[in-house]
Amino acid sequence: MTTATEARTVSPTDERDAASGSVELQQVTKRYGDAVAVDGLSLTIQPGEFISLLGPSGCGKTTTLRMIAGFEQPDEGDIRISGRSVLGAPPYRRDVNTVFQAYALFPHMTVAENVAYGLQQRRTPKAEVRQRVSEALDLVQMRRFADRKPTQLSGGQQQRVALARALVNRPSVLLLDEPLGALDRQLREEMQLELKLLQSRLGITFVFVTHDQGEALSMSDRIAIMRDGRIEQLADADTIYARPTSAYVAAFVGQQNFFRGTAAEGGSTVESVHGLVRGIRSDRLAPIADGTSVQAAVRPEFVRIEADAAAGAPATGANRVQGTLLGVSHLGETMQYLVRLGDDQSLIARRPTPEAPDLAVGSAVSCSWSDASVQVFPSDDAAAAGGYVAPPTH
Amino acid sequence: MRSLRLPSFALAIPAWAWLVTFFVVPVGAVLYFSFGYKPGIFGTHATDVLSFDRYAEALSPTFFEVFMNTLWVGIAGTLLCLAIGLPVAYWMAVKAPANRRGLLIALVMVPYWTNFLVRTIGWQIILAPEGWMSQLLQTVGITDGPLEILYTRTAVLIGVVYNYLPLMILPLFVAFDRVGPALREASKDLGANRVGTFLRVTFPLARPGIIVGLLLVYIPLMGDYITATVLGGAQGNMVGQLVASQFQAAQNWALGSAMAVLLILVIMVSAAAIGLLLWLVSLPFRARTRVALEASA
Repeated sequence: MTTATEARTVSPTDERDAASGSVELQQVTKRYGDAVAVDGLSLTIQPGEFISLLGPSGCGKTTTLRMIAGFEQPDEGDIRISGRSVLGAPPYRRDVNTVFQAYALFPHMTVAENVAYGLQQRRTPKAEVRQRVSEALDLVQMRRFADRKPTQLSGGQQQRVALARALVNRPSVLLLDEPLGALDRQLREEMQLELKLLQSRLGITFVFVTHDQGEALSMSDRIAIMRDGRIEQLADADTIYARPTSAYVAAFVGQQNFFRGTAAEGGSTVESVHGLVRGIRSDRLAPIADGTSVQAAVRPEFVRIEADAAAGAPATGANRVQGTLLGVSHLGETMQYLVRLGDDQSLIARRPTPEAPDLAVGSAVSCSWSDASVQVFPSDDAAAAGGYVAPPTH
Repeated sequence: MRSLRLPSFALAIPAWAWLVTFFVVPVGAVLYFSFGYKPGIFGTHATDVLSFDRYAEALSPTFFEVFMNTLWVGIAGTLLCLAIGLPVAYWMAVKAPANRRGLLIALVMVPYWTNFLVRTIGWQIILAPEGWMSQLLQTVGITDGPLEILYTRTAVLIGVVYNYLPLMILPLFVAFDRVGPALREASKDLGANRVGTFLRVTFPLARPGIIVGLLLVYIPLMGDYITATVLGGAQGNMVGQLVASQFQAAQNWALGSAMAVLLILVIMVSAAAIGLLLWLVSLPFRARTRVALEASA
């Protein structure tokens, strides 16, 4: 073995300044042939932040992560980690570690050897390796599996080892590429909690790539919703959920009922074939000219539903529609109603189970919602076609 | 009604029947003949008196030298195949564009579409003292006189490396291909550079394929007969030729059988010895990377 000093840069504690753990992407573009995977993306991640890159497959989130890790080099733009540009630096010279989607544990090494790998590459003394590997395995409660081979572990256990293998190196930034994707739902929810706790305890910057909105909403300080290689909206979970800036974001996070039509009343109201849908248009958003093609979004949880007879008078005015109840699904905490309004428009309403009305399938129902729950966006082909976004199949 | 169902080992019966008929029986016969003797000018073998005399004969200084020569060509040829085949297999499996791999494998196999003997005779033309290689080397000024390697051990070595190289490349390619890019990326992510990643991840995981390649080349190479006959002449004798000449020219099946049995033993013992040696060499490396934690609290 060579006696040359290891190339990987490990900043000593005294050099760790305020920028340590920050990640800056400046106008980063990555192309594969004619296809643009990441398109002039800029993003500044604060030290110690838990940020999620959320989007459907092909939106460029994984490519972005791979450029931070060093597996891909951007065609344009600059990437700075802890304040220093890492352009051209290979993965083994970056102070970041990755938890891979399929874990990528070394099958010919034991759990302990997998975790020790990064430390051994840095010529860490044996006693210190043992000490830190033990601590890392304790952290993920995998100490008693230290001598197993990865193939002898369950998916959740492998995931913990992958986490320990990355964290043991004490990176400034931890990159996670859909690390929970292969786990079953219950385990995934447990790991979400554990990851978030671990991150707050260690204070390491987490960059988390996922296509699962629930994962992103539950763990992140901020979420970057990605689309076609760009960031569509960057905000905390509350803002993303309550005040999406586009129909795309509104459709991607949570569920929405969409009404297409033309704008009226200064862009706050949509004239649809099913009646007026009136909202309160925020001043933060770009103005919409009356008469242009728009869509209004209402979340199912804001829709009240009642038997049509109870409503008395026929529906008049805004934010009230009538239809036929197509089906009722029990989702646990909530009941979900699927209402048919017309040939091409359905509506989803969701009420908390204790206060859900008992309605017969096939009966006439009336649905209504408040002005405050309506959001109006310019028409966008990427938002789901048809009236509503189909519920996720569980 | 009871359904007639063959036990599952029936699937292996054709292979067993074939091997027993055409391998076990002949090898058994060769082993038996090797303890016999040549009864006279016109007989090929007799087994009414059994002895180890043919083995003593086979180990006479003349024959022993050929055995050592064979071992030298076998080991040097196998190592050369590894040295040449490993980088190209790695490049094909890891670096070459994925959509070109089929073409590259086909190119490796192209020589196999030509008859083994014809290919080997082709090397006579290339290596001849008045051949184009010789003239090229003289023109360029690398050698002063004509190339004097045809009918030497060097020519045999060149020939066997050429003939057996695909048998090394293909299993190595499969082995490297199966490691996949994910583990190499994980290794680099954890701070290992290219060399470190190869030594600690790619190579250990490809080791079974490397062993297969070594055996696939070493075993047939040790018994090679055509290459040595065409390119070796008197100086490049290998045991395969001796065995053939005892059976065909000298009509001494007993001695030929003894030589054949010795060759089998030499191949088995040398392969085992080399394997043991490699394992011993790897021990300190394994000890250095092993991580044993104290029993958990």
